[in-house]
Amino acid sequence: MKKHPKSIVVMAAAALGSFALFFAKVAPLYAHHAFGAEFDPGRPVLLKGPVVRVEWINPHTWIHLEVTKDDSTKVVWMVEGGTPNSLLRRGLKRDTIKPGQVIIVDGYQAKDRSNRANARDVTLTDGRKFFMGSSGTGAPYDKPGKDERR
Amino acid sequence: MRIRLLTIPGVLAIAVTALAGAEIPRTPDGRPDLSGTYDIATLTPLQRSPKYGDRLGLTDEEAKAIAREEAARMAKTNQASDPNRAAPPVGGDGSEGAAGNVGGYNTLWIDRGSGAFKIDGKWRTSILTDPNNGRQPPMTPDAMKRAAARVRLAGRPNAGEAWWVKEGITPGPYDDPELRPLAERCLLGFGSTGGPPMLPVLYNNLKQIVQTKDHVMILNEMVHDARIIRMNAKHEPPDVRLWLGDSVGQWEGDTLVVDTTNFTNQPALGAASRNLHVVERFSRIDEKTLLYRFTVEDPTVWTGPWSGEYIWPATDQRIYEYACHEGNYSFGNILRGARLLEAEALSKPAGSRK
Repeated sequence: MKKHPKSIVVMAAAALGSFALFFAKVAPLYAHHAFGAEFDPGRPVLLKGPVVRVEWINPHTWIHLEVTKDDSTKVVWMVEGGTPNSLLRRGLKRDTIKPGQVIIVDGYQAKDRSNRANARDVTLTDGRKFFMGSSGTGAPYDKPGKDERR
Repeated sequence: MRIRLLTIPGVLAIAVTALAGAEIPRTPDGRPDLSGTYDIATLTPLQRSPKYGDRLGLTDEEAKAIAREEAARMAKTNQASDPNRAAPPVGGDGSEGAAGNVGGYNTLWIDRGSGAFKIDGKWRTSILTDPNNGRQPPMTPDAMKRAAARVRLAGRPNAGEAWWVKEGITPGPYDDPELRPLAERCLLGFGSTGGPPMLPVLYNNLKQIVQTKDHVMILNEMVHDARIIRMNAKHEPPDVRLWLGDSVGQWEGDTLVVDTTNFTNQPALGAASRNLHVVERFSRIDEKTLLYRFTVEDPTVWTGPWSGEYIWPATDQRIYEYACHEGNYSFGNILRGARLLEAEALSKPAGSRK
């Protein structure tokens, strides 16, 4: 009934369940908007491809990446990331993610079935987290003398 | 009323304020200068964990354990993922709250601070200090009914289907953009970030105070809500209702006292009603720290008033613009998604709906 391009949408059974439950313990009851209203738990996705562009925009960033389907055609997906303010405080900037950089994103597709998903985990091809959490509101980008993470 | 609500820590804090009075920055007219940027993030919760009972303070070891736990959680979540990982599970990842069974609010988003806060050198178990158990008083029976009704509509697990069609609920929660929560519509920040009372939330916890003789402005980083406090003024007439309420201020010695009424029927403080009344007290306890205290009254919601206090440490971080409307694609995604799920639910024979 639900159709997914097989090469870009991989159904999984469990793998990250414990990971998600871990976050659930710190997730607030109220937030800017409930991801539960926007994304479909029945449509998990795993997306891999080069970044096309980054919308460094409030309230949340959107990263566009180009994914190659089984039939070799290409489709651009948008994934929803953190707020620019939080990213700046991690030392990330608009041009930190370069076009052409290959990333791997897992998440769930939007309920409107457009090529949009939540960026549950964004990594480089070797698995390193692209988005790193930090303890506190330490803002390396704000403080003179500290290197920005590139 | 205010005297009755004054807590012992509050009295101590005033004593500290008085002692520090000579050393704090002042405006040309001699008032304490509250202006500056503050980072109010703290891991100390609004309401106290029942395990502490009436205990106001944490031991050093307990406070260190909280900071260690947070640091360890961050370190764990920063570890590399499997580059050959599969997509998350079909049917959702089990995450709760705003993560809504699809995950998403991970450490990338979170700026909750790195530890508990101290007042007068003592770590705190909660922001809330009165009642003594650090918990909000019980709700009135009517308020409990309203809260239960909200949970029935907004607290549903996300199963990716139009349950409101299946159950014949009219209007459905997505039928009108104006039925959606104010935060989702970018009208107010989530939680009580803009307040009053102004409380820490998951991220964007910076506040900027600009002070003049006649007005005090408090800018919230979250959703860029700006509170304009009119000094020595009267409240607007009762028919004037404002998202952040109508705030008027006066100086009581070295303390700025802000009285806020005239809320809409959806104040930032969850569960509160248009009858909400908040009194806040801002004191500068040293060059880099404000003490923020507040008392909440809403007899149509809580069976008694409640009060709290925490510190606002100054920060040299920049406060960034948060123009929530400019790219709120999520709102369109949510409404379009609801239309599609509704169409699917209506196209299926009644017996086949899940």
